[in-house]
Amino acid sequence: MTRRFFSGLALASLLKGERQQHGLPGLPHFAPKAKRVIYLFQSGGPSQIELFDHKPRLLDFQGQDLPESIRNGQRLTGMSASQSSFPVVPSKFGMERRGQSGAWVGDLLPYTAKIADRLTFIKTVNTEEINHDPAVTMCQTGFRLGGRPSMGAWISYGIGAETEDLPAFCVMISNSGGGQPLYDRLWGSAFLPSRFQGVKFRSGADPVLYLSNPAGLTAERRRTFLDALSELNRSSLDEFGDPEISARISQYEMAFRMQHSVPELTDLSSEPAHTFELYGDDAKKPGTFAANCLLARRLAERGVRFIQLYHRDWDHHGQLPENLPKRCKDVDQASAALVTDLAQRGMLDDTLVIWGGEFGRTVYCQGHLTATDYGRDHHGRCFTMWLAGGGMKPGITYGETDDYSYNIVKDPVHVHDLQATILHCLGIDHKRLTYRFQGRDFRLTDVSGQVVDKVLA
Amino acid sequence: MRPRWQIQVLLAVLTRMAFAQPVSFNRDIRPILSDHCFMCHGPDAGHRQANLRLDLAGAGKGFESELLRRVSSHDDGERMPPPGSGKPRLTAQEIDLLRRWVDQGTPWQPFWSFIPPQRPALPATQNSTWPKNAVDRFILARLEREGLKPSPEADKRILIRRVSLDLTGIPPTPAEVEAFAADSSADAYEKVVDRLLASPRYGERMAYRWMEAARYGDSNGYQTDGDRDMWRWRDWVIGAFNRNMPYDRFTIEQLAGDLLPDATLDQKIASGFNRNHRTTGEGGIIPEEYRVEYVADRAQTTATVWMGLTAGCARCHDHKYDPISQKDFYRLFAFFNQIPNERGFVWNYGPEEPFVKAALPEQAQHLAELDARVQALRQNLPKIDGPPRGWKAPRNWTVTQGLVFRQQGKGSYNGDAAEFGYLQPFTYSAWIKPASPDGAILTRLDDYMESQGHGLYLIGGKVRLHVTHRFTDLGLRVETVEPVKLNEWQHVSATYDGKRLASGVRIYVNGEPRETRILFDQNNEPFQKKHTDIRVGEGGGLKFDGGVADARIYNRALTPREAAAIAANGSFAALSKPEQARRDLAYLDLRAPKKIRQGLAAIATAQRERDAYADSIPTVMIMADGAHRDTFVLKRGAYDAPGEKVTPGVPEILPAAHAPRDRLDLARWLVNRANPLTARVTVNRFWQSYFGMGIVKTVDDFGSQGEFPINPALLDWLAVEFMESGWDVKAMQKMIVMSAAYRQSSAVTPELLARDPENRLIARGPRLRLGPEVIRDQALAVSGLLVEKVGGPSVKPYQPPGLWQELAGGKGYEQSKGEGLYRRSLYTFWKRTSPPPYMMNFDSPNREQCAVFENRTNSPLQALDLMNDVTFLEASRKLAGRILAEGGATPEARVEYGYKLLLARPPSAKQKQILLTMEARMVGDFHRDPAAAAQFLKQGDSPAAPGADQAELAAWTSVASLMFNMDEAITKQ
Repeated sequence: MTRRFFSGLALASLLKGERQQHGLPGLPHFAPKAKRVIYLFQSGGPSQIELFDHKPRLLDFQGQDLPESIRNGQRLTGMSASQSSFPVVPSKFGMERRGQSGAWVGDLLPYTAKIADRLTFIKTVNTEEINHDPAVTMCQTGFRLGGRPSMGAWISYGIGAETEDLPAFCVMISNSGGGQPLYDRLWGSAFLPSRFQGVKFRSGADPVLYLSNPAGLTAERRRTFLDALSELNRSSLDEFGDPEISARISQYEMAFRMQHSVPELTDLSSEPAHTFELYGDDAKKPGTFAANCLLARRLAERGVRFIQLYHRDWDHHGQLPENLPKRCKDVDQASAALVTDLAQRGMLDDTLVIWGGEFGRTVYCQGHLTATDYGRDHHGRCFTMWLAGGGMKPGITYGETDDYSYNIVKDPVHVHDLQATILHCLGIDHKRLTYRFQGRDFRLTDVSGQVVDKVLA
Repeated sequence: MRPRWQIQVLLAVLTRMAFAQPVSFNRDIRPILSDHCFMCHGPDAGHRQANLRLDLAGAGKGFESELLRRVSSHDDGERMPPPGSGKPRLTAQEIDLLRRWVDQGTPWQPFWSFIPPQRPALPATQNSTWPKNAVDRFILARLEREGLKPSPEADKRILIRRVSLDLTGIPPTPAEVEAFAADSSADAYEKVVDRLLASPRYGERMAYRWMEAARYGDSNGYQTDGDRDMWRWRDWVIGAFNRNMPYDRFTIEQLAGDLLPDATLDQKIASGFNRNHRTTGEGGIIPEEYRVEYVADRAQTTATVWMGLTAGCARCHDHKYDPISQKDFYRLFAFFNQIPNERGFVWNYGPEEPFVKAALPEQAQHLAELDARVQALRQNLPKIDGPPRGWKAPRNWTVTQGLVFRQQGKGSYNGDAAEFGYLQPFTYSAWIKPASPDGAILTRLDDYMESQGHGLYLIGGKVRLHVTHRFTDLGLRVETVEPVKLNEWQHVSATYDGKRLASGVRIYVNGEPRETRILFDQNNEPFQKKHTDIRVGEGGGLKFDGGVADARIYNRALTPREAAAIAANGSFAALSKPEQARRDLAYLDLRAPKKIRQGLAAIATAQRERDAYADSIPTVMIMADGAHRDTFVLKRGAYDAPGEKVTPGVPEILPAAHAPRDRLDLARWLVNRANPLTARVTVNRFWQSYFGMGIVKTVDDFGSQGEFPINPALLDWLAVEFMESGWDVKAMQKMIVMSAAYRQSSAVTPELLARDPENRLIARGPRLRLGPEVIRDQALAVSGLLVEKVGGPSVKPYQPPGLWQELAGGKGYEQSKGEGLYRRSLYTFWKRTSPPPYMMNFDSPNREQCAVFENRTNSPLQALDLMNDVTFLEASRKLAGRILAEGGATPEARVEYGYKLLLARPPSAKQKQILLTMEARMVGDFHRDPAAAAQFLKQGDSPAAPGADQAELAAWTSVASLMFNMDEAITKQ
């Protein structure tokens, strides 16, 4: 169908000018290990203490104030700053060593625990940011304030995608009860041309904004329409000779292809029963994190370069014991299923999967502390993320934190380092993917970033 | 925006053009040094290597051969720039230019944009008939030097559409087109231009780009991204353009209108320019960190808009490329660092101080009438004599207006009557006899201190009121300075005025106002705590040790006299102050003459009405300077690392007859004739708006990383002309659109395209995709949907449902009804964290920060948007209705009419045939499928044309939609 649409029009030569899905000349800078990225962003800041960063001595410290020597005058959020004491609170939940690698994974993540050997845990991710907006913006754009292109935009600008039927950079936000807001800038293109912005896939009737033809205008009628449009535009091209016109013709071609490729993509009816066993029944409900993980795999299969998922509501200042398990249940099975599924399909080798939030949480309690209840404030000085697949060394844990999961003891990985590493996996030297704006060559990693060689395969 | 390689091709072409002339340092050499060398051998003293500086006079002297050797070396250890620097190797052409520069003796020039422009002589041209004004002399001289010829003048119909879209953002009507086509007088075109410049649409058009530069938004921009009102500033801008306010005044009023002597309301509103930046009220932030951000934004925006300087590059260190030191940046910063008591942690919703109530003229008048009415009622009120001697208030009389809760003893009670948010006033009161200094008196929250809600406590013996959203960072806490007495009955009360600030809390003991201390003052987030008990003598994790009696809650803040009255203890013996207040109030309530009681009621009603009206008057945030706040260089740009103290001042490299000391001085300095930048930067942006690119392509960077002007003499001539015309903005627009250069046909030959793909030399007219606001406004205009009304609050036209909720929950986008759907796009509500998707698809800046560069891309999302967005489908239906009603009886006539409405010209035979074929096919199709036709016509809220044949209307709707999707339709050509 796609072919037929343009076969009669002999546009091939015309369209060569604008192959938006191709990247820049000279890129990738070197042979990539990963061809695509799936970033499972857990917005709000999941607690590393309950989930990954095992700290048995906290039981001894329980209820004591966090020693000044540990806090060491570090800046606190405006929330903590008005606290008069900083009582240490250990995790209420269990944690064990998992698999051959013996990586620590909390009991709240039983499915993740089962695939621990496939994962690379970094316990020392860190950021200077202590609040959501700047911290999420830092993770996704490399700078704390809005105004810089997002990671996906940089990557699609640099290396395009392996499909001409779908956007290079797709974004999905799962339904959650609440949580901190997100912002369009997190997948925006800022000063990069707008075609590099992330395209949001939504769970409603129109999976991509404006994708569906209006009621009454069948695909057949749209065809008639597009054929006529193409002819009209070619007559303008004859008259004005402006290459922008041929670019426009090719963009309508891609729009038409998207009208077919996206519904095909989001139609899960062809998925066999064992897919839903793997991802869980939630994957049948559009808009859930599980359904989005399954879609992420389908996007990856079709050559999309950067697939960004968001799941909100990890911001557990209070009532953490009640709420953290709910969020874990939302994401655990599907996150693990995605990795397993990619591995089974032989795609994990060249797909980089990333799991984590914008920061971690404090060892000291915030909110209402009782025998059974507590909360934790934001903590950017160390938190845990895991990565899997393309380019990563599986089954290792990198970096160490102190007994309080408060400071880094060994091998810090700044958010910029992580970004440099992600780009490296894609064959991009983060220092050389730049764009000049207002007299300066900007890059994702701002003015820093070191590739973390030791986590690379 | 084109990919880099195309720019490089262009540069190569232009460089070849330059070969015929001697090497010019500013044009040819400085860009190479800046791009490859300044990073380590430039103005940044902190990062300078080998003590070598290449940006000053004498650059290159004495080590010419070393320079050439190092840049052309193949040895990685020798080569400059070094391989690890991320800087590319010099090209053969660049090395060749350097060699020729060395051969010429390394001549140096001061940086071009820092030298005040002089009016250049008009160049001679061989062709003396083509130029229509001075602009053309410069354009043609350059074309002739390049061996190029200008293009013929554009067809009149194309030209009138071009100039109408450029000057007003709305296409011409068929009548306007025909009148122009038929007018053979010499000044036919000039008459059109004058008409367009006089239209109020002109101000709207000009305001749009200015709003982008000014980072205008209708929301705060961070995290919760609450609404704000800045539209009175936006409307000021529209008015200023329409009145043709000279650009120097336009500058002064926006940068410092508040500082002008006897500043008018309008001048204060204008100063809102520098309050358009984003602000945050995210819980947990460090306020000073963000306050610094706001000040820096003002400094950077001002530098970009007026000076074309990337001053922000000097925020953390000396500028890498331009002679702007870090100290220079903070001296500029100091001008904007003077808002009194400025907060970094601002209200999430509504205006932040300083702001003014900016009544529209009719509002001001109505408010004055309401004030006069209150005044008149007061004057007419008979004199109030106190109660007659010996009159006693009934023992059980007390203040009952607004009393929503009253219990005599401790316990838990249903609290539904007191479900107050943070914007509702209230009063809590009780009699207490404390046995110990800590306890809860009266609360409506859960039984722990951090709970959301309200609580009146005794803590450390002091009376304390808490209003809590989140205990750690959102709420307010106020306590009395002195403790109450233990083991003695006393009356305590606290009132809150519902205005969010802790200063709106009063605490009384025994009816006497007590001195208070504010413990916490960030009551910044709305809350509504439902189904919570009111507890007397407990709550917040505390119990009251001792007696509590007569606990009351009012749903308003009692006046001091009322607060005294409720503290009366029922003893008539000694006429205590509380008893006196109670007696007076009771008398007014029960016994005063009817006239007085009615008069008081009337005053209260009139006052309420007046206050409610006053609340509806729009506000606008403005600038203000308070007592001088010291400014320090911030090391690494960090808010908490102050270094050297600095005074306000302009960059040292720029000429200043006297040193500006405040914002008003700064604004005047910017528009001083000796300022080398303002006029150049401004006319360059004007040029960009017509030709798609500035004479200096980097409209936001007139520094050494920016582009050297493609036609420096033209830029300088325009800049001088602009200043000497008295900064006449309309005259400058007219100058440009009257030029022969602007009027050329935009058709391009393959040869010319190869020679000058970006049309920098202007050997043809501009052909550019329209901005998003123009594409939509055009569709509304030609379909007859457009509602033209200048100014007013922002509106919410069609937007796919759910976009705001997906990001942040809540009520989401509440789409306008009726005319709000059809206003010009500059009135569309701009929520910064979720901007209108249609606008973003078509390259709108996101309004997070100042943007002056125009981006134009082509994407499949634009195609989907134009085809399927209800905005364009409804416009298609209405355009189809117009075509059927007004376009004649035959399909041929109708196609022609539609084409003329949208494109101002008739279709070619071929285009007509394509459209007729489509129409015929669709008519047949929809006749066979009437249900589809009916469905297809259901787009949008506007009523369907009565009586039309549905299949025919549907077919023409699809034709109209097709026309809206044509490249020509979304292009000015």
